[in-house]
Amino acid sequence: MSRLSRALLPLRFAARELRGGVSGFRIFLACLALGVAAVAAVGSVRMAINEGLIAQGAVILGGDAQVTTTYRRASESERAWMEARADAVSEVVDFRSMAVGGPEDAPPRRVLTQVKAVDDAYPLAGTVTLDPAIALDAALAHQDGLPGAVVERALAARLGLAPGDRYEIGGVPFRISALLVSEPDRASAGFGFGPRSLVSAEALHGTGLVAPGSLFETHYRLKVREEADLVSAEADMDARFPDSGLRWRDRRQAAPGIERFVERIGAFLVLVGLAALAVGGVGIAAAVRSYLEEKTETIAVLKSLGASGRMVGATYLAQIGALAVLGVGFGLALGAGLPLALGPLFADRLPVPALFDVYAAPLAEAGLYGLLTALVFALWPLARAREVRPAALFRDLVERVGRLPASNWVIATGVAGLALAGSATWLSGAPKLALGVIGGVAATLAVLWLSAALLRRMAASLARARWLRGWPVLRLSLAAIGGPGGDTAGAVLSLGLGLTTLAAIAQIDHNLRTTIAQELPDRAPAFFLIDIQNDQRAPILETLQAEPGVGTIQTAPMLRGIVTQLDGVPADEAEIDPEGAWILRGDRGVSYAAEPPAGTELLAGAWWPEDYAGPPLVSFSEEHARELRLDIGDTLTVSVLGREITAEIASLRRVDFSDMGINFLMIFDPGAFAGAPHTHIATVYAGAEAEGPVLASIGAAYPNVTAIGVREAIARVSDGLDQIASAARWAASAVLAVGVVVLIGAAAAGARRRAYEAAILKVIGAERARILGSFALRAALTGGAAGGAALIFSGVGAWAVITFVLEGQFVLEPTIAIAVVLGGALASLFAGLVFALPALGVRPARILRSRA
Amino acid sequence: MTDVTPGPAIALSQLALTLPSRAGLVDILRGVDLEIAAGTSVGIVGPSGSGKSSLLMVLGGLERATSGHVTVMGEELTGLGEDALARFRMRNMGIVFQSFHLIPTMTALENAAAPLELAGRRDAFDRAAEELDAVGLAHRADHYPAQLSGGEQQRVALARAVAPRPSILLADEPTGNLDAATGREISELLFSLQSRHGATLVVVTHAPALAQACDRVVTMRDGRLDPSAVPAAEAAE
Repeated sequence: MSRLSRALLPLRFAARELRGGVSGFRIFLACLALGVAAVAAVGSVRMAINEGLIAQGAVILGGDAQVTTTYRRASESERAWMEARADAVSEVVDFRSMAVGGPEDAPPRRVLTQVKAVDDAYPLAGTVTLDPAIALDAALAHQDGLPGAVVERALAARLGLAPGDRYEIGGVPFRISALLVSEPDRASAGFGFGPRSLVSAEALHGTGLVAPGSLFETHYRLKVREEADLVSAEADMDARFPDSGLRWRDRRQAAPGIERFVERIGAFLVLVGLAALAVGGVGIAAAVRSYLEEKTETIAVLKSLGASGRMVGATYLAQIGALAVLGVGFGLALGAGLPLALGPLFADRLPVPALFDVYAAPLAEAGLYGLLTALVFALWPLARAREVRPAALFRDLVERVGRLPASNWVIATGVAGLALAGSATWLSGAPKLALGVIGGVAATLAVLWLSAALLRRMAASLARARWLRGWPVLRLSLAAIGGPGGDTAGAVLSLGLGLTTLAAIAQIDHNLRTTIAQELPDRAPAFFLIDIQNDQRAPILETLQAEPGVGTIQTAPMLRGIVTQLDGVPADEAEIDPEGAWILRGDRGVSYAAEPPAGTELLAGAWWPEDYAGPPLVSFSEEHARELRLDIGDTLTVSVLGREITAEIASLRRVDFSDMGINFLMIFDPGAFAGAPHTHIATVYAGAEAEGPVLASIGAAYPNVTAIGVREAIARVSDGLDQIASAARWAASAVLAVGVVVLIGAAAAGARRRAYEAAILKVIGAERARILGSFALRAALTGGAAGGAALIFSGVGAWAVITFVLEGQFVLEPTIAIAVVLGGALASLFAGLVFALPALGVRPARILRSRA
Repeated sequence: MTDVTPGPAIALSQLALTLPSRAGLVDILRGVDLEIAAGTSVGIVGPSGSGKSSLLMVLGGLERATSGHVTVMGEELTGLGEDALARFRMRNMGIVFQSFHLIPTMTALENAAAPLELAGRRDAFDRAAEELDAVGLAHRADHYPAQLSGGEQQRVALARAVAPRPSILLADEPTGNLDAATGREISELLFSLQSRHGATLVVVTHAPALAQACDRVVTMRDGRLDPSAVPAAEAAE
């Protein structure tokens, strides 16, 4: 035999064995295909959204680049710079206000609206769609002496108005000319509090709605064709206007909020996909082990004919390899096909236009994970199989070797495992998360393996306990769990990991859903009032106090400022904790006070005297000062309305944003902002019945003041969380599908063994109910061990995901975890019995003869 | 020889067994009539595929006859359900197989005790230990089947079969998987246990020595008893 022919011998043997078809590998194929499909589908959807964001970047942003200023419009020099760098510039002013209007025969309704005031150049990219389909400039032009406005359908519905009707924004009258169906730059706007009103910027001139001190943002959209120009323009802007508070964004990352959302959810889903693959991996190991056990005789015969362990290993590795390629192929087809088929159905609910297509990268990633998973989980049983001795032909099939397989196979398993962990860490785009999940899965498997070993040991010693003699059903179950040849470890591992993942996802889902309800403080304010002018503060307080049902009212002066230096070091060069980076990213609310506001809890330092008139002092949030590595005595420089103020940190306070009251990171002494134009913010605590009258009376007297209902704000937040929760549910269903296949696989794998046992027990006089009872008891004991470990690990896993991935507050919900674990254990018991029942019905002679 | 109860311990009348196979229905037993007196031993011989083992399986209630009657210890087995058959075996039968068929997850002692436990006997383990001692395996009581040799496994199977003191002992080629010396030991044990407990023994075998040790030998060919074959006892006379 030539060397080549000898080398190909394992392949020829493998091909011969596979001639009989793949029926023994259905579970193997299903586990692998479903796991790979889950990862591939998630990756494809993520890719589709990313591609959509890239392709539509300029349209989403409303231009190739956007420069944003807060509470002011661009200065002349800034505007001149923009005109010089861009082919075209468009100005958009964005603010919240109250829309007031309604049917003529009813009292006016008041609804919070997000107003966008645009110039003639808007939109630089994409188109605005209106109903009726008229041109935007015509829709915004004056009609019958009033400026035109287009509003979202939701706003028109809430006000009870239709095109042609009149309404007011902050006391300024407009006529609704059309309904706003879509605006191209919607996704880049981020979080809006109310339905949109779109008006002409010209119509706002002289109205006082957009005045110094009021809360608005101005976006300048720039048309810049070359990407190199975008890069240089951004650098040039930072250099030219370093402390102006100008913020740059361009089409390369048009919707960072959505990108972050997609990244975070995408990473989470990829990791859930990996967990599904790990659950599938346990199923793969069980399927391979069960297949190879049936092949023990063939292997023994091959060995007795002179086949080496290496030859046997290569033969079966080739078989498993060929089947793994087949399973991965099924999975990739499913994973690529599902988003293509279902994507269009969900497209409307996605925040961006996703480009569904077959993308090579996520499929390659999923395929790689699939092959490595198959290898990791198949190598161990393969290594055991190659050690079968020819003597197995003359003994029962249950002979097992207790020691480790040959060292090179152990090393190969380790290398494959490391390759899987490494590629997942590298490719998932969230290395910490990936390592966390892999570590979690590995730790869970290790603990499950230990609990299986413990269970076996306890069952073995209990089965021999004298006091259990005379309890044959119980002893039979214990002997089956603790005795040789049982598959306790496999059952505990597959059931345990599956239940852990399912229970963890159920906990995460539950946490997401109840976060808002539970986080909502008992005494949250009913609404915020913003844009209260200095001279309006006192009369508004008076009006509110006169309303029945109104409780506490808190007010504070409010400015916006950008932190530019930390203790003399420019903010972008300062060394800080990553958790605190958000504080330096945009502008933050700033206040001042002579006395500590009610409820202030000073943790360090002291408040300034009431009549303090020295250099600026600031009281900072203790937690956030730690993140910025600031302490008492350090200085902080803040740019407010273009003026830089450097203040010394005089005290550190406890700041807790979760009660939704008025909270500021920074409160300065009153002298620091003497003369700066600013407005006030108020929180009003009122019963639900008082909300309507309060809104009406404030709205009538102070049209410029905007009221933000907390209920509405929370509804918007829960919409976002709903999307996360539904993504988690989709992921859970993928894991569930794999888990069910693994359970069926485990039940099917043991069916042959149980049928044999049932036949012997019948021979010695056991009735079917007793045999079934013994099977049920052993499934319950195995399920109990798996479920117990799953309960603990699912809690730890869910806590880690909620705390570190979704950055939420974890609330342990044992009932739901127990329900999932019990449900899973019962499902496993049910599957086991379903597979055992036919065996009970077969005449013992047939089964015994087949094992003769 | 022990006391003989009036009437046959086993009576087969026009017993037929037809089983499905890939090639269609196969007639395994084609009208077998046989009576076996209580306390006697009968060897069933015949070529491979003649239906010997199937006959034994039907006798033990492990296979259901297609037609005809099987009466064991006065009870008609053909009308009994699975559970009733199991209870009947528990009370009346011990069965030994060529492939031993021990429960792999139980030790030798536990295997021998299992039928007694199922019968609710308080002294199950003491009795099982006695029987293991009787077959010379007391020192291997805590070993699992996989740790025992073929001969040892068959001794455990024998101990398990006789432990409940059954009236009927069925053995399907009990020495078929064993070497000649071990086979001899097992057959000696089988007969000594049978005579000690006064059981009726039916043994299917290819081994002439084992068959000749029986009170009577019947031969099967093509699913029927061959009347031309000479019973062992008569031949001995």
